[in-house]
Amino acid sequence: MLTLEGFAELQAVMPEVEIREDSSLEGTVAIFPKTEEDIASILKYCNEKMKTVSISGGGTKRLKAGEEKADIKLSLAKYTGIVEHIPGDMTVTVKAGTRYQELQDYLAGYNQKVALDPSWPEFASVGGVVAANDSGPKRLGFGTARDAVIGLRTVYPDGRVIRSGGKVVKNVAGYDMNKLFIGSMGTLGVISEITLKLRPLPKAESLVLLSFPRERLGDLRSFVCQLLDSMMEPAALELLNPALSQKLTGADSYTLAISFEDVESSVAYQEEFVKRNKPENSRLTIQKNKEAQLFWKKVYSIAPMGTPVVEPPLGTSSLAAAALKIGVVNLNVIEVAKECQLITEANSVIAEAHGGMGTGVCQVVLRGASEDISKSISYLRDFALKLGGYATVKQLPHDLQGEIDVWGEKPSYFFLLEGIKKKIDPNKILNPNRFVGGI
Amino acid sequence: MAFKKVKSSDRHINQLARIVGGSSSILYRKEDLLAYDCDGFTIHKALPKAVVFPKNTIEVSEVVRYCHEHNLPFLARGAGTGLSGGAIPLNEEVIISMVRMKRLLSVDLENRRAVVEPGFVNLKLTNSISDRGYYYAPDPSSQYCCTIGGNVAENAGGAHCLKYGVTTNHILGLEVVMPNGEVIEIGKNGIPDEPGYDLLGLITGSEGTLGIVTKITVRILKNPEAKQTVLAYFNHVSDGSQAVSDIVSAGIVPAALEMMDKVAIEGVEAAAYPVGHPKDIEAVLLIEVDGISAGIDEQIRQILDVCRNRNVKEVKVARDEAERGRWWANRKTGFGAMGAISPDYLVQDGVIPRSKLPEVLSRINQISNESGLRIANIFHAGDGNLHPLVLFDARKPGETQKALEAGSACLKVCADVGGTITGEHGVGIEKKEEMRFVFSDEEIKAQTDIREVFNPKNLLNAGKLFPAPGRCAEVKKEIKAAASS
Amino acid sequence: MGINELDLKQDPACSEKGLSNYLWRDHPDENKWADCVHCGMCLESCPTYEQTGQEQHSPRGRVHLIKSVAEGKLEVNEFFSDPVFACLDCRACTTACPANVDVGGLIEEARGQIRQAMPLKGWQGAVSKFVLKGIFPHPNRLNAAGSLLKFYQKSGMQKAVRQTGLIKIMPDHLVQMEAVMPEVQEPVRKKYKNEQVLKAKGKSKAEVALLTGCVMDVMFSDINEATINVLRRNGNDVIIPQNQTCCGALHVHAGDRETGRMLAKQNIEAFRDADKVIVNAAGCGCMLKEYSELFREEPEMHDKAVEFSKKVEDISKYLHETGYEKPKGEIKTRITYHDACHLAHGQNVRQEPRDILQDIPGVEMVHMPNSDRCCGSAGIYNITNPEMADAVLESKMQNVPGDVEMISMGNPGCMLQMAMGVQKYGRNQKIVHTVQLLDWAYQKEDGKERV
Repeated sequence: MLTLEGFAELQAVMPEVEIREDSSLEGTVAIFPKTEEDIASILKYCNEKMKTVSISGGGTKRLKAGEEKADIKLSLAKYTGIVEHIPGDMTVTVKAGTRYQELQDYLAGYNQKVALDPSWPEFASVGGVVAANDSGPKRLGFGTARDAVIGLRTVYPDGRVIRSGGKVVKNVAGYDMNKLFIGSMGTLGVISEITLKLRPLPKAESLVLLSFPRERLGDLRSFVCQLLDSMMEPAALELLNPALSQKLTGADSYTLAISFEDVESSVAYQEEFVKRNKPENSRLTIQKNKEAQLFWKKVYSIAPMGTPVVEPPLGTSSLAAAALKIGVVNLNVIEVAKECQLITEANSVIAEAHGGMGTGVCQVVLRGASEDISKSISYLRDFALKLGGYATVKQLPHDLQGEIDVWGEKPSYFFLLEGIKKKIDPNKILNPNRFVGGI
Repeated sequence: MAFKKVKSSDRHINQLARIVGGSSSILYRKEDLLAYDCDGFTIHKALPKAVVFPKNTIEVSEVVRYCHEHNLPFLARGAGTGLSGGAIPLNEEVIISMVRMKRLLSVDLENRRAVVEPGFVNLKLTNSISDRGYYYAPDPSSQYCCTIGGNVAENAGGAHCLKYGVTTNHILGLEVVMPNGEVIEIGKNGIPDEPGYDLLGLITGSEGTLGIVTKITVRILKNPEAKQTVLAYFNHVSDGSQAVSDIVSAGIVPAALEMMDKVAIEGVEAAAYPVGHPKDIEAVLLIEVDGISAGIDEQIRQILDVCRNRNVKEVKVARDEAERGRWWANRKTGFGAMGAISPDYLVQDGVIPRSKLPEVLSRINQISNESGLRIANIFHAGDGNLHPLVLFDARKPGETQKALEAGSACLKVCADVGGTITGEHGVGIEKKEEMRFVFSDEEIKAQTDIREVFNPKNLLNAGKLFPAPGRCAEVKKEIKAAASS
Repeated sequence: MGINELDLKQDPACSEKGLSNYLWRDHPDENKWADCVHCGMCLESCPTYEQTGQEQHSPRGRVHLIKSVAEGKLEVNEFFSDPVFACLDCRACTTACPANVDVGGLIEEARGQIRQAMPLKGWQGAVSKFVLKGIFPHPNRLNAAGSLLKFYQKSGMQKAVRQTGLIKIMPDHLVQMEAVMPEVQEPVRKKYKNEQVLKAKGKSKAEVALLTGCVMDVMFSDINEATINVLRRNGNDVIIPQNQTCCGALHVHAGDRETGRMLAKQNIEAFRDADKVIVNAAGCGCMLKEYSELFREEPEMHDKAVEFSKKVEDISKYLHETGYEKPKGEIKTRITYHDACHLAHGQNVRQEPRDILQDIPGVEMVHMPNSDRCCGSAGIYNITNPEMADAVLESKMQNVPGDVEMISMGNPGCMLQMAMGVQKYGRNQKIVHTVQLLDWAYQKEDGKERV
């Protein structure tokens, strides 16, 4: 914990930097650097004084996982803006604190976009999305931060600024250090600048919703296999369980949300394919462009936010909520969705699940009493393990924070993760206990 | 083959032979090792201590453990088609050849993944699933013979990575023998985003310095419904490069966008797969779009318009699969084809922001004039990945040296315009010094720090990838001295 | 260990003349390896690399070694000889090579050096001398051998050998080969000894000379007969020069280039007056076309050889180019086609035989994957390197579609080897030469049912 003297000392070292008491966490200070040098000197100072630092962007993924509280909150909320955008090269470099949606809005002016669809795009920072390797249903078509990030500038705990990758779309000079920082949850360094490769905005977009009665999961499976085995190119092929489907579409059934993005003729052609092969008893609706985008926007705001900036819009705010990320083999997404529906029907918690049939990545939001949520988390984690997969916790209700193992079992190669952490952050000042195995 | 014991005066050889199953799985006589003194990079040559041919992960692990315990340097080798010298023994290594671990272990079409052993040849994967309409996307030009294990080590690219990404974007899981012999599994069952630092991403492209991959789970893709290929000839390189920019700016993401200049055209036309490119043009573009059939025609129309606006001399769409195949064979054998017009070549692998193409090409031209060596350019124009091929004759005194210098100068140009020194071939021993064009000492240290975590004794493929101060300068000097002798 | 390693470091990819360890004339051609940039595109095309995974058993590895001897880094000894002689000389690498490196030519030249530096000794030497020098170049002796074989087959001795268990004491690969020996007929060269010209049926449009081959004429004279028939039927007068001899391919493959040159000279002379030399054995055709390689150091002979090679044509290609009558006789069969190495890789003849087969009514062609992969016959390779030949044959047989009735090809060596494969792997395909099938179709059309 930072004492008042420490506070004064910090301000003395960095007179230009905005430092104030952190309103969200009593007794800590929040620092708002505006330059990379600021970030470097803050980290250097903390490293020397052995002060712990928690890093924050938009605050959507904040989750206190361990026991300790960090001494200092380093907020990148004021380290924002586009550094360089060369439309012809289809690359953009932004400062880490830039809000994700702001970047997309800017790029839309050039008919371009970053091909990532993270949660809470209006609030999440680009740095946060990358540090957490957040992704959405459209990763099927466009990939994840691993695929989109081509360069990073990362400030190490000792103040060194380490560049990785570059500004070009293909690069194998040295180790692919970008990958190390993507998804590292800020435990290795503070990502300060991100260079991303861009995609053209699609000329047309459509959302095909295909709802199946609960007893028709077999039909759903065959349809998914048929679609995946066809030459159609869905950008998303997301399965919603009835609990979530009802909320998003009004249909109390398993629903496939299929996204097509391409030129108009191609989108129409692919819609036709779905219509033609629609199983009996399933219900089909199609939403176009703006309407489709609105649907996905709703999907991106299902999970609870780390630092609630707005009331969750869907009227379930009275219940405590947790969010899980579950990874399984693609078609096992059906099993996860089914299991979550069973949990919901057992009446203690609501488990809203969606998962990519072509990616195997699911998100489950649990709503209910903390105790029940806790039980459901263990249950679902075991379930995922049995399927050969994993379950990690993205968000927890306040009273469960610190209680629940967020990452699950350490992997057999944990010594490597630990070794990397020790090399880069030997004093463990960055986001302590925020990562696998207490890293 | 029957087990035959090896009796060498070197006890290490006898022990290694015992591990891998006798004389048919080890080479250790000088004469037999000679063929292993280089890979696709032929300027530096050195003999290994031995070459072993393990059949499975256990044997790899035991060989590695033995080397680790006895402080014997070692490295893994696939087909040996690498172009940066990653598999060349610099320290009398024991070469662990992975080519006998070449099985396709499983294919799971429903979940779009396949598991292969590292010695499995890239193209064979596509060939074994193509009848059901699937393929493996990374397609380096050497895909006829290079191994997927080698592709992982080098993070190999290919002509179609503009749209589909490079090897790292298609790797879901790896089994790795660590430099102390321990076996780890990353990305179990090929499920993405396993919790923890992204070791898959780190190991892919680590050029065999972090561990030896013994099993690989890859993503497989469904064939695109339609595919169209366009060939466009230009009288001026600048028109060709402008057309490249225009195509991308029009919002088209081609599956491939390749370019060859005049010297390169001369080479491929003189070699095994000529397709009758006119001799008097300055640049040819090979453009491929794929995807939903209903959307393709519009894209082709746009591409043809773009080419015409940029003064294309002639532009044509492939009539059928056979013609398309011929165009690609012509392009994909481009490097080897240089043998037909020059006894030796040095291939470079710079990457630049696409918009700098005309500027960089004219500077490469200048380098060619200054050095007096011809430079052919074959490149993945869509993603700015240039392959200047410096043509030389090693038999002429001093020419190898000149070629090395010209190659290095090309990379400097790429780095100077904000690009990088290698897009898909790797650093190996060839571009160690050039790493300094793009990384500071601190940044290089950050990377060698990671190597220390995995490979603390640095017995595994030592001396590659990074310019170790002092020692590295020495090696470089050695290469240059050798070249000029 | 470490011998010459220092030298290696200081002596990169350049050849130092004067250090060469090739001590005899006609040494491997520097220009041939100068084309090789070590890219590795040849690796997967090579059957011996497929089996061993070892660089020295790959095309680029062999080229590297051949070059290393010239650079003085390697001596001509057994470690050099092994990889060079393990090569099947199938030329698949030449097809795969982006720079058209003539690996086959280099291998043959290197073998010439090896055989002079280290002549075969012991029984190998004796057998080689007896077979290659004592029999093949002499039609009469070969005929005599053929007669012996015929006697062996007809007299019941074959049956006796098979029944008495004598077969058990023969080496394995010889047993397998014995089992598939074709029935010996009268050689056509002997049969038509007194015919100046075998006149075309109907109007004659050209006159061609036929290379009857040595083994071919003894063991497969029915194919020669079929060849003569289809040539005559399609307007060709056929002559069979009596002073022709063995093409020399087996000798050149074995490193005996001297005998190769002698035979080449005799054949060039024998076919001096011919406008076209028709060959129905891929290996022979390829050799004839490459005679000039043997005379790199004899300019006058070299020019003659170049002229000669222009006249040589494979029967299928000749028919295809000059036009042939489409047969009306129906042969109802499912058939697959095997590309003989020396047709596909050696002479780039691939489509012509397939077209001919497809023109036969009733024939249904089935694609054979990797059809241009060597079967392991490779001249006398299946006798000299039986283990490798077997392994190569096994992978070949895996590619033969299960549901075909016949396998067609254009080379007698392949026919024997494939027949062995069919027998060994319990398959039941008939092995036929492309022209045989065409001839049968003509015969059927003419109402003559095949016996």
